[in-house]
Amino acid sequence: MKRFIKGLTGAVATAALATTGAVQAQEDDTITFGLLQDFTAVYTFLTNEYNQGQQDYLTLINQEGGIDGHTFEAIVRDHGNEPQRGLEAYNRAREEGAVLMDFLSTPVSRAVVPRVLEDEVVLITPLHGRGDASDGETFPYVFPMMATYWSQAAVLANYIEEHEGGLEGKRIAHVYIDSPFGREPVPILEELAERKGFELETFAYPSPGNEQSSTWSEVRRFRPDFVTIWGAGGGQPVSVQTAIRNGISPDQILSVVWMAETDARQIGEQAAEGLKRFEAVATGTDHPIIQRIQDKVIDEGLGAGDAENVGTTYYNIGVATMAVSVEAARLALEEYGAPLTGEKLRDGFHMIEDYDAEGMMPPLTFSEEDHQGGGYGRVSEWNGEEWEPVTDWFAAYQDIVWEEIEESAAGFREGN
Amino acid sequence: MTFTYFLELLINGALTGLMYSLVALGIVLIYKSAGVPNLAQGAMVMLAAYLAWMFTTMMGIPLYVSIALSVVAMFLFGLLAERVLLRRMVGQPIIMIVMLTLGLEIFLRGLAPGVLGSSPKSLELGIGLAPLIVGDIFINRAYLVGAIVALVLIGLSLLFFRTHLGTKLRAVSDDHISSWSVGISVERAIGISWGLAGISAVAAGVLWGSVQGVDWTLSSLLFPAIAVVILGGLDSIWGVLVGGLIVGILGSVIPGVLDPIVGGGTRNVVTSLVILLTILVRPHGIFGREDIERV
Repeated sequence: MKRFIKGLTGAVATAALATTGAVQAQEDDTITFGLLQDFTAVYTFLTNEYNQGQQDYLTLINQEGGIDGHTFEAIVRDHGNEPQRGLEAYNRAREEGAVLMDFLSTPVSRAVVPRVLEDEVVLITPLHGRGDASDGETFPYVFPMMATYWSQAAVLANYIEEHEGGLEGKRIAHVYIDSPFGREPVPILEELAERKGFELETFAYPSPGNEQSSTWSEVRRFRPDFVTIWGAGGGQPVSVQTAIRNGISPDQILSVVWMAETDARQIGEQAAEGLKRFEAVATGTDHPIIQRIQDKVIDEGLGAGDAENVGTTYYNIGVATMAVSVEAARLALEEYGAPLTGEKLRDGFHMIEDYDAEGMMPPLTFSEEDHQGGGYGRVSEWNGEEWEPVTDWFAAYQDIVWEEIEESAAGFREGN
Repeated sequence: MTFTYFLELLINGALTGLMYSLVALGIVLIYKSAGVPNLAQGAMVMLAAYLAWMFTTMMGIPLYVSIALSVVAMFLFGLLAERVLLRRMVGQPIIMIVMLTLGLEIFLRGLAPGVLGSSPKSLELGIGLAPLIVGDIFINRAYLVGAIVALVLIGLSLLFFRTHLGTKLRAVSDDHISSWSVGISVERAIGISWGLAGISAVAAGVLWGSVQGVDWTLSSLLFPAIAVVILGGLDSIWGVLVGGLIVGILGSVIPGVLDPIVGGGTRNVVTSLVILLTILVRPHGIFGREDIERV
């Protein structure tokens, strides 16, 4: 709440300055990012920690002198997961000189895509938004930046193939929230089922997922060897708890990226032991960037939120998104000099090669064609206390993933 | 569909429906005395769960003491809501009073997560996760406990309306002016009904919160609860019981058949149809009085 009020206050102050003409787009040394997110509606299970990580990383860079004297400023506003409010927030942030936006909301990001393509502003959509935006030729200013849900499903399937005795002949249940997000990985899993010879069955539960008992009755009767769960927020622990109550062991369950420490504690720290998830960014505080944030931001009283959040799953994802974005800005400024524009920043992203945020994430490489960064991730397991990686970073079945990306991107091109 | 699978859907649907009844009970308690359909009941359930979590986790108070404190706090909240909001609306059109409760719902849904944090909170009641499978029929332990609590609260509510105070509340529900004329404090009666709705919100919030975690989505339980009270009758405690069972069973068995065919979750469609068909066919519900004025 304190962070939220602080963010809103900062945003109001920035808006006031904008009306007096004090802020001119990137004419001074400040680089502005618009972190316009959903603090009050659907994505509340992660927004606070995610946004806190983003702000703390930008503060760290500023504390360390910025990039050749260029410091960063975050415009933080709530759009409540409403596309119209998101567009309004986008327009204001644009007027205030923001060259990069992050809406952390699929509906809002989808609504804004045509605008950013027209306005030449960079839109990052890590772990949300359009998976087909990985096609940089169709979406030159949109960067999913991390593994799409298609790539996540591919990584989880590959984990079963490599580490759990192969896919052939297995029975895999895909249990998902009944929404486009929940259904998104189905084509990839279906294609893999055909190629690898496993039996796939899909089971939907209604949003928001607080009651799933009849769904899991069906799942139990399917007698799956493994279950992939595709939900977010409160529905995730309900899925795992109901699975356990139906006699399905946590070590048979593999989750989409939205499974955090809070979810494991909700399930029960011991009860959740063996549960696996896709991991896009390392969790914990034992990373150089997080250590520096602790020393130079948190300990100095400059943190954007509760210090206890530092190192959590969603906090670290937020940090990583800004680490990649700042790296893109650094490369762009090195190549083209100030002022930083959306076009230069886009090219900066294209120059990123094997960047891993000092070991916090898989090495990302972007190009004009690939805005996903390779589709890397790893599998981690809840060991009763924390998430422990059980694989190295890897990408899987990207040929199948890119078939899906290209088909969907072609649909976008036809419709626009 | 095998018979055992049907039976499993039936039993768990009934248990789930009784869990919905816990939310619906608060709506009926207020309607029975104040004549107002309280659309803030979902948010009151959420608020009650947040309070129980706050007492337990933030203040370190033992769980069952926390629940007792939440009961007191929510009773006081109910009294306060009546005193500060509802009493000012005396004489106003019913639609504005309904809108007021909707406004309260939205306000609480923003306030509690805003102050206490929006990430899901854990509320552990100690109900084990070990499978409870009788024959080949799975029974959800958490819902079994919730259903027992719901039956107890429904029973207590039925008894309450036979007491002296309960009779006064029924009189107030029938006619405010006549109640005033015979010396019944209508304001106090309505305040008490809001307080009782607050208590039932604690039961619903704690039980649902233990199942799904405590966050804003608890307020979305208003939707199935509305189906329960419309089907059962807005002013009937028996309706809460029967409506809950029917909504729960239909919401379990029909999706069990249809979901594999249509490839999606149909439970919310079933719940919506219950609301629509009841209003079209029997607007006062199964046990509701026909003279209920609907908005």
